[in-house]
Amino acid sequence: MSAETQARVGAARVGIGGPVGSGKTALIERLIPAFAARNVSLAIVTNDLVTAEDAERIRRSGLIDPTRVAAVEAGACPHTVIREDPTLNIAAADELEMRFPDVELILIESGGDNLASTFSLDLVDWWMFVIDVAGGDDIPRKNGPGVLKCDLLVINKTDLAPHVGVDLVRMEAEAAATRRGRPMALTNCRKVEGIDAVADRIMADVLFR
Amino acid sequence: MLQVNTILGARTDPGLHERLHRLEHRHAVEVVTIALGDLDRRRLLARTEKGEEIAIALPRDQKLFDGAVLMMEDARAIVVRAGEQRWLRLSPASSRAALELGYHAGNLHWRVRFDGNDLLVSLDGPAKNYAARIEPLIKGGHVSMSETTE
Repeated sequence: MSAETQARVGAARVGIGGPVGSGKTALIERLIPAFAARNVSLAIVTNDLVTAEDAERIRRSGLIDPTRVAAVEAGACPHTVIREDPTLNIAAADELEMRFPDVELILIESGGDNLASTFSLDLVDWWMFVIDVAGGDDIPRKNGPGVLKCDLLVINKTDLAPHVGVDLVRMEAEAAATRRGRPMALTNCRKVEGIDAVADRIMADVLFR
Repeated sequence: MLQVNTILGARTDPGLHERLHRLEHRHAVEVVTIALGDLDRRRLLARTEKGEEIAIALPRDQKLFDGAVLMMEDARAIVVRAGEQRWLRLSPASSRAALELGYHAGNLHWRVRFDGNDLLVSLDGPAKNYAARIEPLIKGGHVSMSETTE
């Protein structure tokens, strides 16, 4: 694809949703170097309730030019600004694209939410839902729209499974059954395990490389 | 992999219709069926009925639709066909049941339309998953259900 065509089409936009503390920001921190290694020009939008905590964390990480990180303060229910009225996030992504015309991929992190959280396809092209084993191995069985409808389900903190009494094999099998074979990934963001599989999935399904 | 970066128009557009008609006589119009839920995507991988993979990446001001022409050459064209929409028809037995059903449908963010006294819910998964959310209404005989397609 030519650079001219890329600019006209615009950057791909990928959503990252999931419950509070499941590891959405940690996943982004691991994906930044993974995309750098794949020569993908990246920008990030984070969503928080009433602060810019996650954006500041990523800006301070030293992993990415801090000016490529935008913060949206949802002010109320996090899903409102990624589903019902994503105007604030669309504007933030548009502004990043204007300031950085070379950007190919924008990761949009939702604020922590419940299992019903989903993204509007007016905002993103493709989205992930991050859960973690410490949140309970019954999460996949609960048929939450986030788990069912996402393009990629990420089960994070796999290293914690033995410490919280979770049978990871069973949890993975139940998640696969709930999603009827749609893609999943297991990650341990602390030890950078499973990150390449997530990055490769985005490369193939969204960036077509 | 074929890259598509713009929609050329609708198959009914005067400028495209005649050319498509000629190509159809030569069996040179390929169809790519896209699920209704995926029509809102600006980026997706799809496959034509003949098996060719297409990488679609559209500008943000363009949207896929039934009949969108993705490619037009002298020898062939590619046209979008929207997937089938399944609907769950919910028929409340009383005004009270209708009120409660409407509350649940809104609370669950279902996409709906109205047909007389019935509520039609667009399905993008098994109907039983939707029925499970309003099981007391159905088991109590306050709402009956049936599935339809279009």
